[in-house]
Amino acid sequence: MISLKRPDCGKRCPRRLPTVFLLLAILALVSFCGPVWWRAQAQGSQQSQPAFQWTKPDWAPVPIVPSDNAMNNAKVELGRLLFYDKRLSIDETMSCGSCHQQARAFTDGERTHRGVNGLPGNRNAMTLTNVAYYPTYTWANPIITSLEKQMLVPLFGDHPLEMGMVGHEDELIARLARDTDYPALFATAFPEDGGRVDLPHITKAIAAFERTLLSFNSPYDRYKHGDASAISASAKRGEALFFGERLECYHCHDGINFTDNNIQQGQAFPEKGFHNTGLYNEDDQGAYKPWDHGLRDVTLRAEDEGAFRTPTLRNVAITAPYMHDGSLPTLQAVIRQHYAVKGHSSVAGKGPNPLRSEFIEGFKLSDREVQDLIAFLNSLTDQSFLHDPAFSDPREIASSAVRKKSGPPTNGGSHAKQE
Amino acid sequence: MKPNHRYAIVVVFAFLVVASTAVWGQPSSPQRVEISFAGRLEGKPFACGAQYEGVGTKKSTVTPQDLRFFVSEVELVDANGKGVPVALDQDGIWQYKSAALIDLEDGTGACRNGNAATHAAVTGSVPDGHYTGLRFTVGVPFELNHGDTLSAPSPLNMTAMFWSWQGGYKFIRAEVALVTNVAEAAKRSPRSAVQKAGVHTDAPADPTRSSGFPVHLGSTGCASAAPSAAPPTECKHPNRVVVTLPEFDPAKEIVIFDLGKLLADSDVSTNAPNTAPGCMSAENDPDCVPIMRALGLPLRGSPAGTQEVFYREAK
Repeated sequence: MISLKRPDCGKRCPRRLPTVFLLLAILALVSFCGPVWWRAQAQGSQQSQPAFQWTKPDWAPVPIVPSDNAMNNAKVELGRLLFYDKRLSIDETMSCGSCHQQARAFTDGERTHRGVNGLPGNRNAMTLTNVAYYPTYTWANPIITSLEKQMLVPLFGDHPLEMGMVGHEDELIARLARDTDYPALFATAFPEDGGRVDLPHITKAIAAFERTLLSFNSPYDRYKHGDASAISASAKRGEALFFGERLECYHCHDGINFTDNNIQQGQAFPEKGFHNTGLYNEDDQGAYKPWDHGLRDVTLRAEDEGAFRTPTLRNVAITAPYMHDGSLPTLQAVIRQHYAVKGHSSVAGKGPNPLRSEFIEGFKLSDREVQDLIAFLNSLTDQSFLHDPAFSDPREIASSAVRKKSGPPTNGGSHAKQE
Repeated sequence: MKPNHRYAIVVVFAFLVVASTAVWGQPSSPQRVEISFAGRLEGKPFACGAQYEGVGTKKSTVTPQDLRFFVSEVELVDANGKGVPVALDQDGIWQYKSAALIDLEDGTGACRNGNAATHAAVTGSVPDGHYTGLRFTVGVPFELNHGDTLSAPSPLNMTAMFWSWQGGYKFIRAEVALVTNVAEAAKRSPRSAVQKAGVHTDAPADPTRSSGFPVHLGSTGCASAAPSAAPPTECKHPNRVVVTLPEFDPAKEIVIFDLGKLLADSDVSTNAPNTAPGCMSAENDPDCVPIMRALGLPLRGSPAGTQEVFYREAK
């Protein structure tokens, strides 16, 4: 041990700390506190990152995001790649995008889609337009309350079998982990926990992408926000019919997304609307088809027979066929052969369904009024949503870019929307 | 000498006190417990790839597709009938808290949607004691049944047991395929991509003729949850089966899951029209009546009874 005394302060002079000890102490301080400081800096810089920028008009509400799945651009881009990745199905023939095609507002134009086993499902693929604002998911399931949970049904459900990955989660993860790009993309998307390729990260990334599927640029939106000439006179007459007491459409199809299902930032309670519209009445008591009782199948409450979640009407003109089972082919049929006649069961079943919503009492409508109503519904189509490159299959963009020139890498060309 | 003598006595006494407290004070060492399970079908051991004749009311020939189930709240029962919980080994794979997944399929034969790994015994410990019986619940306890399946620890993150549609897990996944259908499907498209992937493509021409008979038991009628919260109250039909074996010696006996008894009163070759294949615990599926009866569960006016599927047998 080395000990030095100051030459001028004699015996009272305090002994200087041994230099080696001092050095060790400094070293210890740095080695213990350094990482803490570094982490604090890192957290600080994470927090100081600007909040995620939603691509939406100012008047549109901010969606609610689960506290454990904060939005970031890398996660959205990863989710987009996964959404369009057929490796998410057992035989690599189906991706989320198979049933949810952008050009059809993320529906597929079929009554019901066949699963990987070739058997048709029971229900029509729903649009993902503004899907971030729903408090519950699928056609009639009050206990599926997040997109992260919803996708477990097509991915891992056995009845009906859709993507057929049930019991094959290890294979799914191995497929994606083998990919040259995914491991790094997962790590970037989930910096807080290292971003392993695993199911929580897969579902969170896809959900983050789905939450960006915002559509607020229809002619009707522009009309409502200042452009009086954005929709036709016919559509304006249709709007009056839609929001009038003769047709009663708006009782369920109201709010920013034309549905009584909504949750958004600043809203105290989610609104959840499930209704029996009288599509079927198989037994004079209000029964729907025996293979699909709607909400009742989950709640087991008799009064929930035939109740389904009110779908949004945004982009409705291009999401045919209609209803939970895709049984009505056109908007004309929905108006004329369903709502105008107290429900389709009045003409195709055992009379009006006694359990149907009280707002479905039928109405008389001239041919011109039907045209006006359809013109209004057409004005809810957002062409920019259907063609936004930020929502399209990034691999298609990449491969077409490669064909044109030497092109960007596969995950390039995908930062268009969220800056 | 006298003080020294006294001193020696004190030392010896102190030693005795210390030594005896060391013995008595130590908690009695816990007793290891291993309870083994085995599958049975028509009197033969359950094995993927094997064929079994005479199954159900129509004496169908079947081959297994799956046999997995959760057991939980395992207790050894003492002579007074008092149950003492078995603390399950927290092995990070098959057992978590009070729940264990028993996996009797090995991924071979028609069990191709399964995996090679199996888990046939629950392991853990109980306080040392004299036990004469066994009690356990088939199912996942309510407090574990409705959490986030993806972030849940193994085995609660195995997708084969997810029941996302109903919320929670399948408690039992027991499936058989009809051998005739498997053979026909193989003849039709022996190398189709779908078959290679292990998914049945055979859509029977007769809609009531089934390609197999899956039994999925789980809770139904679960209350609507607040966003990202588990249902606050128990489901309408919890569908958990409490199995009590008043006499059971884990060293000499095993617990049998008798798939043949589960299917004994079912016609596994047909499916009730417009219902889920086999029995998926639906309240309105006639195919579920004999299944629930075999499990001692009430359904459609049929009262709760005694389960006949689980019983003990000498090792």
